[in-house]
Amino acid sequence: MSMYKLEEYESIIEKCSHCSYCQSTCPSYLSQMSESHVAKNRLLLIKETVMHDRMPYSKKAQELLDTCLLCTNCTQTCSSKVPIVDIIIAARIKTQEKSGGIKQTVMSKMLAQRGLTGVLTKAGSLAQKMGIATKEVPPLAAKSFDKMYSGTYTPSGEVKKRVAYFVGCGTNFFFPDTGEATVKVLNHNGMEVVIPPGQVCCGIPTLSEGDLEGTRSMLETNMKILADLDVDAIITDCTSCGMMFKEKAAKCLPEGDPLQEKIAAVAGKMWEVTEYLQTEGLAETPGQLDIQWSYHVPCHRGWSPTVKDAPRKLLAQIPNARLNEFGNPEQCCGGAGTYYMEHREEAEKIRDMRLQDINQTESDAILTQCPVCRFYIGFKVKDREVTHPIKILARSYGL
Amino acid sequence: MQGLVKDLTALLGHSQVLSHPEEMLAYANDATHYFKSRVPDVVVFPHTTEDVSKIMKYSFEQVIPVTPRGAGSGLAGGCTPVHGGIVMDLKRMNKIIEIEQNNMTTIVEAGVVLKPFQDMLEKRRLFYPPDPQSASVCTIGGNIATRAGGPRGVKYGTTGNYVTGLEVVLPDGTVINPGGKFVKQSVGYDLTRLMTGSEGTLGVITRANLRLLPFPEANRTIVVVTDTLEQAAEIVSEITGRGAVPAMVEFLTKMAIAVMNSYFSPPLPADGEGYLLMYFDGTESQVEYEARVVTEICNDLKAKEIRLVDDKEAANNYWTARANVYPLIQTIFQRATTEDITVPRNKLPELVRTVQSIAAEEGIMIGLAGHAGDGNMHPSVLFTQITPEILEKADIAVDRLIRAGLDMGGTISGEHGIGIHKAKYLEWELGLVQIELMKGIKKVFDPKGIMNPGKIWMEEGGDVHV
Repeated sequence: MSMYKLEEYESIIEKCSHCSYCQSTCPSYLSQMSESHVAKNRLLLIKETVMHDRMPYSKKAQELLDTCLLCTNCTQTCSSKVPIVDIIIAARIKTQEKSGGIKQTVMSKMLAQRGLTGVLTKAGSLAQKMGIATKEVPPLAAKSFDKMYSGTYTPSGEVKKRVAYFVGCGTNFFFPDTGEATVKVLNHNGMEVVIPPGQVCCGIPTLSEGDLEGTRSMLETNMKILADLDVDAIITDCTSCGMMFKEKAAKCLPEGDPLQEKIAAVAGKMWEVTEYLQTEGLAETPGQLDIQWSYHVPCHRGWSPTVKDAPRKLLAQIPNARLNEFGNPEQCCGGAGTYYMEHREEAEKIRDMRLQDINQTESDAILTQCPVCRFYIGFKVKDREVTHPIKILARSYGL
Repeated sequence: MQGLVKDLTALLGHSQVLSHPEEMLAYANDATHYFKSRVPDVVVFPHTTEDVSKIMKYSFEQVIPVTPRGAGSGLAGGCTPVHGGIVMDLKRMNKIIEIEQNNMTTIVEAGVVLKPFQDMLEKRRLFYPPDPQSASVCTIGGNIATRAGGPRGVKYGTTGNYVTGLEVVLPDGTVINPGGKFVKQSVGYDLTRLMTGSEGTLGVITRANLRLLPFPEANRTIVVVTDTLEQAAEIVSEITGRGAVPAMVEFLTKMAIAVMNSYFSPPLPADGEGYLLMYFDGTESQVEYEARVVTEICNDLKAKEIRLVDDKEAANNYWTARANVYPLIQTIFQRATTEDITVPRNKLPELVRTVQSIAAEEGIMIGLAGHAGDGNMHPSVLFTQITPEILEKADIAVDRLIRAGLDMGGTISGEHGIGIHKAKYLEWELGLVQIELMKGIKKVFDPKGIMNPGKIWMEEGGDVHV
C-alpha cells in the first residue's frame, strides 16, 4: 500500500467480519454509545460514500468520519487486521482533494515553519477565527527547545552510543522540559546526543487532516536531515512522532520514490526514549525517589512491541518509586493531536471517562509519553503532576 | 417516516433517536453480514425501563416493528431488522443495579457488557461463568435473548442456567417481573426461562437477576496436539467417560492453529491435525488431579504433544487467540459462515468424520472448531471465492451437516440461536406440532406481531440470503 490511495483498500475493507469487537476500545463509540460512531460503521460509510458513490458524501458522513480520533485502538483490536486508521486517512485525503480544505493549508504552514517567531500565536488566532480552536490551548514555553538546545551533547565519560534526537512539536513549543530531561538522561547513561538543526513537525497532524502534500514536504525536510546521520539510533520522546516515522511515512510516497530509502533508514533506527534506554539497559543506577505514579499509555503505541511497557520496566528500577496501575491503563484521553480543538464536546466526554480512573488513584504523578495527553489531562488534573516518564528518571538521577 | 422520527423524538429527546441513513449502516445486520440485511428506519436508545415502555406502547399503537439489539455481535441474524421499523439499541442501559454477595446474586441492566462485568466480579472473587467469545462487547441482554454460551458450557452450562429473574417490557408497554433473586421457584409456568432464548420476539428484556458462583481459586491450561482429528475427538470422549470435568475443552484444527499461532510462544507444532485447548478450574487439589487424569488419557491415546501451560500470561494468550478465531479466519478467506451443531458428547468422533466426508464429497472447505467438551461444534464453510456454484454447494453441505447432526440425536443450535440463519432447519428439529405451539405462545405475547418479526421460523417466501 502506498500513497494512501483509497482504491487500494477495496478488497481489504471487505475483511471486516462485522464482529463488532471494535466497540470495546473505540473512545468515540464508548463516549457516544451509538454504533454510528464505531469503526464498523465508519468503514461501511466510506464504502458507500467515498469509495463507491452509492450514497452522497453528506455533511453527516463527513461529521462521522471527522469524529474518529485516529487513536488506532480499533486497529489494534481488530483480529481481521483491517487497517482501519489507514483507510480513514485515505478517505480523508480523497475528500480533501475534492474540496481543497483551507484548514489543512493553515495547519501545514504552521507546522512546517518551526523557526519563525510567533507563527504559532498567529496560527492560533487564525485558527480561533476559523472556529477550530478551544479555550484549552497549551501555553507556549517562554523559550522553545530548539532555541535552547542544538548541536552535539557529549557525555563526560565514555561514549557508549551516539544517538540523534528528533524533537517533536509538543516538546519544542510546549514542554521543553521533556527535551531537557531526555538529553540529560541520555548523556548520563553514556550516550552522545546529536540535535540536528532545521527539524520540522513529523507530519502526523497534517496526515490526520488528509493533507498528503503538506505531510510529504515535512517528511522530505526531516528525512534529509536525519537519514544520513552517523548514529546508532534516532530517538523521539513522543509516541505519535514514532508512529509517523515507523509506520506511516513510507505510505505517504510512491514505492520507488528516492525518499523511500531515507525513510527506511530512519524508521529502522527509530526508538522512543524510554524504550531505547530500557532496551540498552541503564548504565547508571537511579537514586531513590519516593513517588507513586500511574501510567497513562498513549494510544499510538502499536508501532513498537516494547514502547508501552518501557516506562513500567524503566521506572521499576528507581528505588521507592511505585506504580499504581489504572483499571484501564490504555484508555484514550480524548486529546488526540488537534482533535480536542476541533471536536471539543466529544473530546471532553472522552476525557471525563478517563478522569474517573485518574481521580481514584492515590498516585503523585500521572506519566505518559504523549505531549497532547500530558497537556489535555493536565488541564483538568491540577492536584498532581502530569508529565513524561523521562522526567521522573532524570529526577531520580538528580539531574 | 418523518412522522415516526418526530414522534419518537418527542417521546425521548434528540439524543436518543438516530435517523440519518449514514448513522444506521451498522444497524443493518449483526456479525452475519453475508445474510439478508436491511437498515432500520430509525434507531432509538432507551436509558430507562420507562423509555422502553413508552417506545413499545407507541409502536404497539402504530403497529411498527421493533427489533431489540445488544452489541450486534450475534451469529444468527437475530437482531437484523428484516422488516425495517425501529431498532432498539439497549447498550446505554448498562448499570449494575446491585450485587448481593451474601445471596450470590446480582441485578443488571440489559446493556451491561459481559467481559467488564466479569472482570469487576472477579475482583470481588465472584464468578459469572457464561462466556460467549464476543465477551468484550456482547451484552447480558443479548446473551439472555439468545441463551448464549461458550467454552465453559461443558462444566458451567450457558446463560440460561444463571438467569433467575427478569424485567421484561411486553409489546404493549406493560412491564412484568417473572422470577426473582431466589435460586429456585415452583410457581406456574416458568416465564423467566421462556423469555430466555426468545430472541426478542416476545418482549424486551430490560433487567436480569443472575446467579453467581465463588471464583475458582486455581486453574490450569493444557494444550494437546494429535495426529488425527478423530484422535482428538476420542480424547474428549474419554475424558468425559473417566469423570474428569474440564471447565473448557476447545477443539481446533490445523487451519485455526495457523491463524492463532502468532499468539503463542513457542508456537504450536504446525504438523498436527487435531488440537485441544483445555482449562481446568476449582481447588488446587482438584485441578492437579484432573490435569493428571487428562495427561494419562492423552498418553494412553498417543497424543503427539501435551503442553501444560503454567504461566498465567501465556495461558491468557491461548484463550485470547481462541476468542479471536472467527475474525482471524477472515484474514485468509473471503467469507466464513458458522454453524452451531451440538451432539451428544459420545458422538463427537462421528461428527468429526461426517464433517470431513461431507466437505470432501461436496468439494468445499469446512473448518472445524468448537466447544468439544459439551458436543457443541462450529463447522465453518470457508470461501476462497464467492460464486453461485460455491454458494449452492455450501448450502447443500450445510443441509447435510445439519441433518447428520440431528440424526446423531443432536440439535441445530447450542448457543447462537435461530434468528434468520437457522429458521430453515427449525422444522427438521422440532416438527410442526412444537412450532405451532411456539407460534401460539408468540400470538399471546405479541398479538400484533411487532416484536422482532421474521425470526425463528421461516416466513412465507423468506430467504436468509441477500
